[in-house]
Amino acid sequence: MALGLLAGPALAQSKQPAPIKFGQPDPADFEAKNFVADSGAAAVVLCDYGTTRFGSPTGEMRVIHERLVRLKILKKAGYDYATVEVPLYHREGDAEKLSNLRGFTYVRGADGKLVRTKLEAANIFVEKRTDRVTIQKFTLPAVQEGAVVEYAYTVTSSFLSDCPDWEFQRDIPTRWSEYRTTLPRFYRYKFLFHGYQPLAVNEEGAGSVQLILAHHTGMSGAFDSGSSGISVNTEDHRWVVRDAPAVRSEPFITTPADYVTRIDCELAGEQWPQQEYRDLTETWGKMNELLRRHQSFGQVLEHDNFLQASVEPLTLRYPDFGERALAVRELVLKNVKYDGANRLFTETPLKRTWEQHRGTSADVNLLLLAALRQAGLSAEPLILSTRTHGRVVQEYPQLDQFNYVVALVALPDGKELLLDATEPLLPAGVLPRRCLSRLGHTVPRQGEGRWVDLAPGASYVHFQDVKMALDAQGNLTSQVQNQFGGYAGLETRGKLSELGEKKFITELASQHPSCEIPAYTFEGVADLNKALGLRYTLHQTAATPGTAQELFVSPLAVFGEGSNPFKLATRNFPVDFGMTQQEIISLTLTLPPGYVAELPKPAVLVLPGQGGRYVYSASSPAPGTVQLMSRLTLDKPVYTPEEYHALRELYRQMLAKQAEALVVKKAG
Amino acid sequence: MLLTILAVLAAPAPKYPVATIAPALRENAHAVVRAYDEVVTVKSASQLVNTVHKVVTVLDGAGSDSYGQLVIEYSALNRIGYLRGAVYDANGLLLHQLRAAEVHDQGVGSADGSFMTDVRVRYADLRQPSGPYTVEFDYEIVSDNTLFYPSWQPQHAENVALEGATLQVTTPTSLPLRYHEQLLPPGAASAPVVAGAQTTYRWQLPAHPAVDEEPLAPPLSTLLPAVRLAPAAFEVQGYKGSLASWQSLGQWVYQLGQGRDQLPPAVAAKMAQLLVEAPNPRDRARKVYEYVQSTTRYISVQLGLGGWQTAPASSVASGGYGDCKALSNYTCALLKAAGLPAYVALVKAGRDQADVRQEFPSSQFNHVILCMPLAAHGTAPADTVWLECTSQTDAFGYMGSFTGNRHALLLTPEGGRLVATPRYAAQANRQQRRTDLWLTADGGAKATVRTKRVGLAQDTYAQLLHEGDPEQQKRYVSNRLPLSHFTITSLRLAAGPATDALPSVNETLGLELSGLATPAGQRLLLEPNLLGRLAALPAQVGARETPLALPPAALYQDTVRLHLPTGFKIDNLPAPTELSTAYGTYRSTCATLPDGTLQYVRQLELRRPNGSTPLPAAKYPEYQDFRRKVNQADHTQLVLVKHEA
Repeated sequence: MALGLLAGPALAQSKQPAPIKFGQPDPADFEAKNFVADSGAAAVVLCDYGTTRFGSPTGEMRVIHERLVRLKILKKAGYDYATVEVPLYHREGDAEKLSNLRGFTYVRGADGKLVRTKLEAANIFVEKRTDRVTIQKFTLPAVQEGAVVEYAYTVTSSFLSDCPDWEFQRDIPTRWSEYRTTLPRFYRYKFLFHGYQPLAVNEEGAGSVQLILAHHTGMSGAFDSGSSGISVNTEDHRWVVRDAPAVRSEPFITTPADYVTRIDCELAGEQWPQQEYRDLTETWGKMNELLRRHQSFGQVLEHDNFLQASVEPLTLRYPDFGERALAVRELVLKNVKYDGANRLFTETPLKRTWEQHRGTSADVNLLLLAALRQAGLSAEPLILSTRTHGRVVQEYPQLDQFNYVVALVALPDGKELLLDATEPLLPAGVLPRRCLSRLGHTVPRQGEGRWVDLAPGASYVHFQDVKMALDAQGNLTSQVQNQFGGYAGLETRGKLSELGEKKFITELASQHPSCEIPAYTFEGVADLNKALGLRYTLHQTAATPGTAQELFVSPLAVFGEGSNPFKLATRNFPVDFGMTQQEIISLTLTLPPGYVAELPKPAVLVLPGQGGRYVYSASSPAPGTVQLMSRLTLDKPVYTPEEYHALRELYRQMLAKQAEALVVKKAG
Repeated sequence: MLLTILAVLAAPAPKYPVATIAPALRENAHAVVRAYDEVVTVKSASQLVNTVHKVVTVLDGAGSDSYGQLVIEYSALNRIGYLRGAVYDANGLLLHQLRAAEVHDQGVGSADGSFMTDVRVRYADLRQPSGPYTVEFDYEIVSDNTLFYPSWQPQHAENVALEGATLQVTTPTSLPLRYHEQLLPPGAASAPVVAGAQTTYRWQLPAHPAVDEEPLAPPLSTLLPAVRLAPAAFEVQGYKGSLASWQSLGQWVYQLGQGRDQLPPAVAAKMAQLLVEAPNPRDRARKVYEYVQSTTRYISVQLGLGGWQTAPASSVASGGYGDCKALSNYTCALLKAAGLPAYVALVKAGRDQADVRQEFPSSQFNHVILCMPLAAHGTAPADTVWLECTSQTDAFGYMGSFTGNRHALLLTPEGGRLVATPRYAAQANRQQRRTDLWLTADGGAKATVRTKRVGLAQDTYAQLLHEGDPEQQKRYVSNRLPLSHFTITSLRLAAGPATDALPSVNETLGLELSGLATPAGQRLLLEPNLLGRLAALPAQVGARETPLALPPAALYQDTVRLHLPTGFKIDNLPAPTELSTAYGTYRSTCATLPDGTLQYVRQLELRRPNGSTPLPAAKYPEYQDFRRKVNQADHTQLVLVKHEA
């Protein structure tokens, strides 16, 4: 199982003791034989133990999160794990505070005795990272190979609806990771489990806690118990993951975080004594209601008068709704620059964004929405999670799964258009690559909305048409016509705007040692709705000068990818390209007069499950002419780890066919 | 009518309209620096104020990210007085005035490699959705760290033109300014003007078109005009010093560290014990170094004066960590306790880093190492040993590409002295490889590759060996194999003997190479130089403008044994290649051994005829030709034919 809601936990029979106790290292952790299996790792998490409960330590209710970590440092490369940063958030009067920080390093000396060195308060630092984040950092003393380091701290938070999430896995192996929650029943949480490691323990129980509820406690504000302590029933959980391997990134994935085994906690509702249950984000309908009324989301769309003067001319000029939508997007693109930050909520009012000419993705795209509506179009927000932010779980209406918003426009003919105004190099209707995370959810003016498939409106298409001439010395001269369509167009336009034409061509020529590009032209650079064209002349000089009786020519070699992008034989995570792809090379080779060529064999390779294919053909349409065709089609945006081997093999065979040499010799 | 005129009069004059930029400055430019006016006012030996007025027109999207925003660093000893900004459209009309709330403040975290630092940044973003537009920034930095004076280089990156720039320095006449001018055009400097007790120095730069970075060129910062400033006398946090000479700078840093070498008695006793255990000074020094490497690690804490003053040796002894200053100071104290005098030395560390400007004594260093003179002992002659104290794995006495081949400032009781660190020539940067290749009839192969890398050539591999786990090692090696398709069947990295003069790393690699040889009809084509190809340089477009900076001297030796499948023979035995130029020598040969195996041997030595000094641009075609010939020879192809049985 990869993802899902936690279901059917076992009932806890009795209160389990903590898995480890601070200050009491286990002698077994100093025996080398116990770490033979971890010989590759720089360090091992022996135990990571966290608890979250509610309490009133200073007379006011707080969320109390305690953490105790014990690590074994196996190699010098693992020293970094003895340095820890704890981010603490604060906002508008609410804050997280760290207390009771303590730590030890244990080393077994040559005499067999355990030496413990204490973390001194003087070596604990605080850095004010941003307005909202403070970093508490420390590094444990006297660390060396074989040492066991241990630290513990408490974070007390007044963000009462935030129960910390828990990650069971890191980039080093974890032997035991345990998380316990004891949460008062007036807050109802849902727990969402992600990842590939099974839970060794999944228990649920009940208990109670003594709490002081101040007057202002409770979102409804109506509840009043004075400041007296009362006993509140709790819902208790205990989860353990054992022997989790290290998680590492691989090429072509969304984010490693999608594959880390973890539990996310989300407040679902409140149930205060003598009050009705307050359902918070339990349904998509409720979540959308919250978004509609949110002062940095739905509310900002109400203040759009400032757009009228700019939008009205477009409304008059474009009676066709589709054309009008594109014109409005152009207006926003021309006036506001995306600053690179991906957000769901605006940072500033739309009017300010418009005046500053700059904003986050939310500022830009909600401005786009407001302008579309101002223009009389039916447009609603579509929220999504960018590729690096992680996959959205459909079963769970959880707002923090999302970090991005685009506009969904309904046209009178029933067609729908997804619009984003952050990428000036993309045509309308094609989302930036970062948005290709499979699904988004609409936020209509009423109702709960629906899922919309983010299957890209374009694929990655690269087409090369080559007219190549071979002379008797083995030199090749080609006229190459490139078409970069869809996302290949975006990628190439981006690179071209970054490098400029001259550098772009120099880089292209330098990919192959004996190549020179004496002439080139780019076509359709500004017309984003068309493929980008690049036409160039290519000279390839023969390695050995002089006229040979027999020439070996690999015509396709310089036009292909050159090396297999899938270098490793095994794969843990899916290959997530985000889009489908096509790479086509069509080549016509003219032989020197009086020469003939032996043709290579054709090939057709098919991926299982209609995943795609590679087709190679060679023919001689006329004497002295060879026609080669190489066509790669990848029909899925995502391939499972099980499909990896076939995908890698498809690339290998394609490369082999592209490298294959024609034997060209004098006729007769 | 009258109203219109009034409105025109009332409108502010356009600032920096794009139309006034000379066409020559727009050529090949993403941005044009319209003005870069820097004013440095030395208030006293312990304080200076630096103001900058910077105006940049961004011409296209590629210039936007670098020039449409501003990031300024500050710290406990450098505060920002003010930071103002505005952005104008192409016609020079104000688009937006930067508001205080739009200036962000942020800690740099561990971004600069520090665990804890007081360095922070303020940044402002005035990027616009489409160009051209012009940003104007004004800021002031008040510095209590007069060890450093600002540098002025208004144009320092490619594809940016300069319209004009000025620098003005005012200093009390009693605190004379020291400066270093780099490649200034005639008339850039004015004679200093004395007015009362103040002296003012002025420089200005005229318009200069955008430049391009070329392959194998020295950094642009060394090729464009600059003025570097330094004090004669300075004072930081009550510590007075002089930069009149290397001697005086060394003196000041030495003083800062005085009295900070006290060791806990137990540690001192342990070191004294080594005098008995290891009478040979080199062996003893090695033992001390091993002790440091196994009990300490690098953690950088830079707060206030702590950026220049070492933490006490006792704190390293108790905590087991420190930065480069603290670990060097601690090691120096340990060596002293073991009867081995050594000197702490400042160095400008970094791979391919330009050496310090020896003629301009100033604080140019970013790292600290140790230098230990060893007296002759028995048959061993006197020697100098250099130690990198921040690494837990570096070989004893090895500097490598991080600190070798340059000058360091020794800190002695008599003051500073600039001396050369170890030099590593081609023999100390070598790679020796032996490849066995078993080819099958279908063109597939199995290979065993044994590579020994010595000296500079092993630097990254030593890091990979010590810091990477097997998975990371495999990934690193995979990403660098110049093969179109392969599967690694085994990989092992191991350090060579610690007693060798130079460190080495041995790599043993097993490969499965399906489809290695290219089929051509009934034949198989194969380049015997499987892994050791040197890339050719890109074709030169137009004339070469910048000097040629060659890579460090290196030696590559490759032997490939090709075991043919039964029934196959070589159609053409390639002729040997031999090249001999000022830039290096090359030799490759192919021979059939008695058992039918084909042996390919290649040796390439790359030289730097001018040392680390760049060669004139005119030499580029010659060097390019050498590289093209090497590349061509590296692609020698074998044609294998199957016997007709």
